[in-house]
Amino acid sequence: MALDHEILDEKYRSWLSRIASTHHGANHRVNDEAGFARLSAPLERTTVALVTTAGAHVRGQQPFTVDDVAGDPTFRPIPGDVETADLRFSHTHYDTSSAETDPNVVFPIDRLRESAAAGRIGDVSSMHIGMMGFNPDPTEIADVTAGRVASILAEAGAGAVLLAPG
Amino acid sequence: MCHRSVGLVQGAIERAGIPTAALTLRPEITIHMNVSRAAYVRFPLGNPFGEPHRPGQHRLVLEDLFTLLETATGPNTLIELPYRWKRWGKWL
Repeated sequence: MALDHEILDEKYRSWLSRIASTHHGANHRVNDEAGFARLSAPLERTTVALVTTAGAHVRGQQPFTVDDVAGDPTFRPIPGDVETADLRFSHTHYDTSSAETDPNVVFPIDRLRESAAAGRIGDVSSMHIGMMGFNPDPTEIADVTAGRVASILAEAGAGAVLLAPG
Repeated sequence: MCHRSVGLVQGAIERAGIPTAALTLRPEITIHMNVSRAAYVRFPLGNPFGEPHRPGQHRLVLEDLFTLLETATGPNTLIELPYRWKRWGKWL
């Protein structure tokens, strides 16, 4: 079934107005420029990184702040060799029970390792990123966090990045 | 808001020269974020790659993202994946 853009536009306006009316200090940002980079090598020779806004962090790292109405615009670096069982999820705006029982539903690190082992991708990045997506005012995400995340993944040698929400 | 955060980070990564592909469960947000490549899947929030402990399902979704990276020809490419959630009951 093709997506009906009139319906999507209506849902988008409704979402924006809900955020504005229910969250103090709510604001909005979109990308001025989408960007469109291309793979510089076939995926079979590309290092792939993951980013999720599902509140993922590693056991022992500072959990995300979930009791602040302003959200939490910080991020957590997740090493590529993380033990999957050490992943934790701090987020109160979606049901984290699936992620807690199997982190791969939002952060498919085991599947990515299998893809590397099978030769479908070149390698699993040495660094991935966890964020907590609830941020009524996205200014700091847009102006600070996003660029830092991009730099870290570039430094880690990621040649492609896959992203998933909570 | 998770989707807006994904979109903003995705844009920064692309502008840094690294190609990206994102999953979305809320296409109404994603189509307005101005991003490179996204795949809409009709799964509930918290489960973008599918149900827990169904690695075969996760693999299909992951492969679709790989394919999207390989085949998209320009920004604001949004595809819809054909999978359906089996247990919507508790989410309705």
